[in-house]
Amino acid sequence: MSAPYLKIENLEIAFDTPKGKFVAVKDINLDIEKGQIVSIIGHSGCGKSTILNAISGMVFPTKGTVVLNGRNIKGPGPDRGIVFQNYSLLPWLTVFENIFQAVDAAIHDRSKAEKLALVEDHLKMVNLWDHREKYPKQISGGMKQRTAIARAFAINPEVLLLDEPFGALDALTKGSLHIELLKMWNLTGRTKTIVMVTHDIEEAVFLSDRIVVMNNGPAATIREIEEVHLPRPRNKKDIVNQEDYKIIRERLLNLLMDKVEIDAKDFFKEQAA
Amino acid sequence: MKRSSTLIATLDPGVMMEKDSGEANIFLPRALTVLKGLSYNLLGFTALIGLWYLISLITDGELPTPVATFTVMWELLKDPFYDYGPNDKGIGLQLGNSLVRVFYGFILGALVAIPVGILMGANSFCRKMLYPVVQLLKPVSPLAWFPIGLVAFQSASSATVFIIFITSLWPTLINTSFGVASLPDDHKNVAKAFGFSKWKYLTKVLLPFSLPHIITGLRLSIGVAWLVIVAGEMLSGGLGIGFFVWDSWNALSLEKVISAILIIGAVGLLLDRVFSWMEKKVTYSI
Repeated sequence: MSAPYLKIENLEIAFDTPKGKFVAVKDINLDIEKGQIVSIIGHSGCGKSTILNAISGMVFPTKGTVVLNGRNIKGPGPDRGIVFQNYSLLPWLTVFENIFQAVDAAIHDRSKAEKLALVEDHLKMVNLWDHREKYPKQISGGMKQRTAIARAFAINPEVLLLDEPFGALDALTKGSLHIELLKMWNLTGRTKTIVMVTHDIEEAVFLSDRIVVMNNGPAATIREIEEVHLPRPRNKKDIVNQEDYKIIRERLLNLLMDKVEIDAKDFFKEQAA
Repeated sequence: MKRSSTLIATLDPGVMMEKDSGEANIFLPRALTVLKGLSYNLLGFTALIGLWYLISLITDGELPTPVATFTVMWELLKDPFYDYGPNDKGIGLQLGNSLVRVFYGFILGALVAIPVGILMGANSFCRKMLYPVVQLLKPVSPLAWFPIGLVAFQSASSATVFIIFITSLWPTLINTSFGVASLPDDHKNVAKAFGFSKWKYLTKVLLPFSLPHIITGLRLSIGVAWLVIVAGEMLSGGLGIGFFVWDSWNALSLEKVISAILIIGAVGLLLDRVFSWMEKKVTYSI
């Protein structure tokens, strides 16, 4: 294997605040190979999204580099599709238009008819073709996120960046969207690299090839990287009974939960109160 | 109180009938709702006219009675477009003339206010630079600009359009810049992430988001413009509803003055309704 596809090297991102410099993340080193699904997991405020934003080009590193396919990332580009935390659909455009405008902006070397066909294909992939004329307010949260996923896939990016994409959804919808995401990934020949930020352990294990566990911020670093060797295609129902799954889940729980155990004395204090 | 309770009582069977017989009677409950609304209006106007009548009784005819006024108003409205030479034209022509001036000034104002407002909203340099100027000029009564208009355009009619232009400027400008400035980062990020061109950003993100704010600004602007035109035309003379009021006062016809007041109010209400309808049209819900 030659140089890694997506390489994050000595990344530090700091923001200027009224109180001075705030370091969100530092010393981040991460190599991601093409076609991998990688999750970044950690507690709120640990800078997970900041790393994602550095890959998307929305924020710039104060130190270090992010290199995609041999090129330094200097800003957002159509080679990376983003699914935002809060769907970020434009409320005045229909489901169809939301995707079409993104496709129209991101893809330059196709005719209008080809772009329209592209939108149609992707809407059908996420089963939203019948809802194409609806506005975002008229559809459920799950459908909104399917629209956002279809939009990100439709511009045919090399890398997909998902920022807590299923965080606001109920467990059942979440489960079906996991399948939906993997379906899209399979349909595109598992060539798309997916980087996803999440705080859901089960979700991370089910979807990922690798899981990056973050320390708590500020100045968060990578605590550990877990490899997930569960065979694909994975099945929601069967996977939970596999020994490997249990081990990884346990390890992640320990890594993330060591600080939130209830102390015996706190517990009794609370009861007395 | 008794009145409204009987109305509710008559409304209820209507609702029931809708449920029972389906589509056939769908108009009945709706008609009753409209009727109910109208009865409130009627009550309000009855009170107003009653008060008016009372005052004219007390003042012993100094204030013309409603009946006398409505007779004169009917005379005015019967033939609104007559034209007996430069000093004697129908109320419709006077109104039309005022409306044309208002629209000229208003359109010019919007053409300046919307782009400048977008600039101020989108660019913090422009905002910091222009905001103090706006703050200074906004509280000035438009009539104070009248002499400037006279000097600049050498005609009273153009000067009136000029003051309407000045009037229309501020509410639209401020609302537009506010709307544009409050564009959420989420929407900006979508444009950034998918590489929207400047034009696409303007037409698919910025303008659709700010349009409701802009229309609200325009609605306020046309309201103030309609307020100002009457005062402006009293100053400028010529043909127009403001001059008509002044001319009627000079002719000692308070009946005509009150008729004009009612007509001005009705036209203002109509203008407001048009923009309020537009506001609803462009407002998207999240």
